[in-house]
Amino acid sequence: MRIPKFEYFRPLSIEDGCSLLYKHKTEAKILAGGTDLFVKMKKKQILPRVVISLKGVQELDRIEWDDREGLKIGSLVTHEALVNHPIVREKFDFLSEACFKIGTRQVRNMGTLVGNLCNASPSSDASAPLLVLETKLKLVHLYGERTIPLQEFFIGPFQTALDPQEIVVEVQIPKPAPSTAGSYQYLHKASSVGETLVGAAVLLTMDPKDSTCQEARIGLSSVASTPIRAKAAERTLKGKRLEEKIIREAAQVASDETQPRSRPWYRREMSRVLVERAILQAMEKIR
Amino acid sequence: MKKQLIELRVNGESCELAVEPQRTLLEVLREDLGLTGAKEACGTGECGACTVLIDGKPILSCLTLAIEAQGKEITTIEGLAKAGELHPLQKAFIQYGAIQCGYCASGMILNAKSILDENPKPSREEILKGLEGNLCRCTGYNKILDAVMAASIGKD
Repeated sequence: MRIPKFEYFRPLSIEDGCSLLYKHKTEAKILAGGTDLFVKMKKKQILPRVVISLKGVQELDRIEWDDREGLKIGSLVTHEALVNHPIVREKFDFLSEACFKIGTRQVRNMGTLVGNLCNASPSSDASAPLLVLETKLKLVHLYGERTIPLQEFFIGPFQTALDPQEIVVEVQIPKPAPSTAGSYQYLHKASSVGETLVGAAVLLTMDPKDSTCQEARIGLSSVASTPIRAKAAERTLKGKRLEEKIIREAAQVASDETQPRSRPWYRREMSRVLVERAILQAMEKIR
Repeated sequence: MKKQLIELRVNGESCELAVEPQRTLLEVLREDLGLTGAKEACGTGECGACTVLIDGKPILSCLTLAIEAQGKEITTIEGLAKAGELHPLQKAFIQYGAIQCGYCASGMILNAKSILDENPKPSREEILKGLEGNLCRCTGYNKILDAVMAASIGKD
């Protein structure tokens, strides 16, 4: 299988990348890792006349931690880099675990987190942990920039709010509150790439004094047309002592919030099971 | 599209060649450089038959542009044997019957090499997880795992 012909550009700065995109508009596609783009081009699902590679923009290949601002991940950062990064492993262990689940060793070495988000698969593994971490994306175009919550970025299956002239340059994850921990639980299909059937991420913040739940966030992938937050289930937990009955109830509410497009019964059941497991594991980590 | 002059460093040797931008590293290795060890099977990044090492890391040469592999150290299966002596992994694959049709073997061995370079004594489970992106339709994987385990112990 061959990649159809295209004109290749390799800008050395974000600004040059933006002006190329401005010039070629919808005829151009951005290349980071290539693991989604070239598959689609080989299958002739998309046929861009121009490919703009970001590989020459060194500042995009960065993971930065700041004690106030949190974590910033540039758009050339691969899944493998996130799996191995000491700060990501320490402060965002469940995100690192989700990245380890993505694709295969070879795909993780090539594919980027931002590319995965731009592909906007409803089953994207990193998206559930990123949603509960209240992640934002920084988008730039030739005449400006905007920062939007990840939740607003996903607008449908394989569809994003990205304008054809915009480039996603950064993933921004705020610093988690004290006494906070997260968990990612998943089930996957038995196939070569093991696409996720249900992914559930939970982030809990507990009050260290009376061990009530100060904040609860639940993210689910592969159970609706986009990755989603289960906000009603979150409200079930907030302000409560997390006893067995409440945890079961929240897991059931989360399951009711899903809208699976296929295998709905199984996906709902497994959402309930995985949300419960993720809550228990997050509580265990805080203790 | 216009051809571009590029310089690739493959198995320790540099070569200059003119390629069109859409050509993959796999195509250039096989068709321009005559290095047919890396195979094309699925062409979409699922099978691992096209795996080569770039700066020691396994990547899919069927989804990598040749022009983007410039300035990097590319290792193919042809570069593993030194002075006519097979690499310990290659010997172990032969000894343990881990090669049958051979189509997956070059990618499998290169990925296994990168796993052992990172972690010289991995568990069987760690090898299994590491090799998840290399499909084999002949051996049932056990012999491959045996061979990699043997080569890892052999490193001590």
